[in-house]
Amino acid sequence: MTRPALGALLLALALRPATGQLVTVGPQFVLADYREVASGLKYRGSGLGGALWARRDRLSAEAAVVRVSFDPAAGSAADSGFTATQVDVWVAYDVAAYASVEVGVLHRSADPEFDAQSVGAVRVGGRSFYAIGPGATVVFRADYLAAPKFSGGGRAAVSLDLGLGLDVRLAGRLHGTATYAFTRMNRKTNPGGTGEIDAPIQETEARVGLALAL
Amino acid sequence: MAPLRYLRAVVCLAGLAVPVVAAGQAAQNATVRRAQQAYDNLEYRQVLTLARAALRERLTGAERARAYELLGFTYGAMDSILKAVDAFKQVVLIDPERQLDPNRVSPKAYSAFDVALRQVLLVRQLRVDSVSFVGGQGAVPIRFTVTQPARVVARAIGTGATVVIDSGAWNGQVNLRWPARLPGGDPVPAGAYTVVVDARLGQNTFSASQPIRVGHGRVDTLPSITSLPGYQFLPETEIPPQSWRPVGLAFLYTGGALVGTLGLEGSSLGSSSKRELGLVGGAALVTGFVMMLRKPAPRPAEANILYNRLLRDQIARRNQDIAKENVARRQQVQVTVTPVPK
Repeated sequence: MTRPALGALLLALALRPATGQLVTVGPQFVLADYREVASGLKYRGSGLGGALWARRDRLSAEAAVVRVSFDPAAGSAADSGFTATQVDVWVAYDVAAYASVEVGVLHRSADPEFDAQSVGAVRVGGRSFYAIGPGATVVFRADYLAAPKFSGGGRAAVSLDLGLGLDVRLAGRLHGTATYAFTRMNRKTNPGGTGEIDAPIQETEARVGLALAL
Repeated sequence: MAPLRYLRAVVCLAGLAVPVVAAGQAAQNATVRRAQQAYDNLEYRQVLTLARAALRERLTGAERARAYELLGFTYGAMDSILKAVDAFKQVVLIDPERQLDPNRVSPKAYSAFDVALRQVLLVRQLRVDSVSFVGGQGAVPIRFTVTQPARVVARAIGTGATVVIDSGAWNGQVNLRWPARLPGGDPVPAGAYTVVVDARLGQNTFSASQPIRVGHGRVDTLPSITSLPGYQFLPETEIPPQSWRPVGLAFLYTGGALVGTLGLEGSSLGSSSKRELGLVGGAALVTGFVMMLRKPAPRPAEANILYNRLLRDQIARRNQDIAKENVARRQQVQVTVTPVPK
């Protein structure tokens, strides 16, 4: 199939009204801010990714994969950037008309490996969602990041993840999405056994994209 | 007074003459015609002679009845009531359905005719009405007149079956209702029947009959209903009034994200970038504002949904009853009875 034909097919599918929206999938553009250890070590970046969302009855699942290229921000002590690949997964169950409980995982890897911490954690939390108009839904989520693992070692007893989401049906099957995520990990390390020192990690991320309802 | 008495006599005689003139118009026998002319001319002796002479001739039943009728009216006019009764008895034996109009004949002649009817055993005016009914739920009206107290048996005799309709000791007008059913309860088979009424009084018997046709048809079934009269389905969604709720919720959710971000930010890392939250939060606020201005989405009207469910249940229940009734109706037979001209 040629590229114009594929484009026409996707456009036709996008403009056709969906009878039962169960799955959406689409690309995303990402803006991110990353800070680690001290205020002087900060990065800004942008990248691309994709997201998949599915619902069946009260159960919904969401997955997002983004790849962001970080560069040292103005005034940063860092002298080189890195590329982060982050995978987020959420599985939620509606417990009320406007609320869900959710679990999931977070995994972020850095390249080069030692330029930033690679992190893995389990999410446990909840979300609230509300339809603010025809085809428009706003979501707020708060998750505790349990059992985080860092490539540089250490522990983080208090790690939280906040999120704000927006899904608007633009036309037929075409949706516009915007997602904000703030992650804070109060990491502590004990380098050389000299005692624990704070090495917090903080990231903000905005994902804006389109999604096609299937 | 004399002219008045003469006038009354003329009127009375004219009243006697009217039915006989009407009957004599169709007479073929010459002697009967001459008797009729004599009666028209009030020559009663001549009427008696000619009518008796005609009765000795070869006459049809109608001519014989007419001859006796001339005799009856003439005897009546001559005040020979017993002889008039005898003549009228012969008339009704020949033509049992013969009827005199009390408004057109003299009281003397009518009373003589009435006495004659009571002295002869007859079954007259047997009528079977056209009727159509569901087998077992209706009856065929049958009526007749018995002129003397007698033992009467009414039967329906047909190729398919012979059924006794009713029997009893009756006199005068009799009204029967025949359910058109066999002894087992099934409708009588379709076909041609003759309703026969036999009357017996001592040695005297008389029978009257009326052919009828019994037809079978299917009973109409009831159509299913889609609505109940007087009850309408209500819309199951309603459009709520416009409100600030969309932008308020967007503000609340964005504010929650902002407060959470500010609260979790550590001083050691400095204030985080707000462009990401600004981008997404701004989009949420704009969307909320647009949604506030737009027509709200319809929402379910629970009361109407419940009402419609009850209404649908009622309609379904009624349709179940109709279906059951239709099953019964399909097993029933529409019986149609029509009298057949003799």
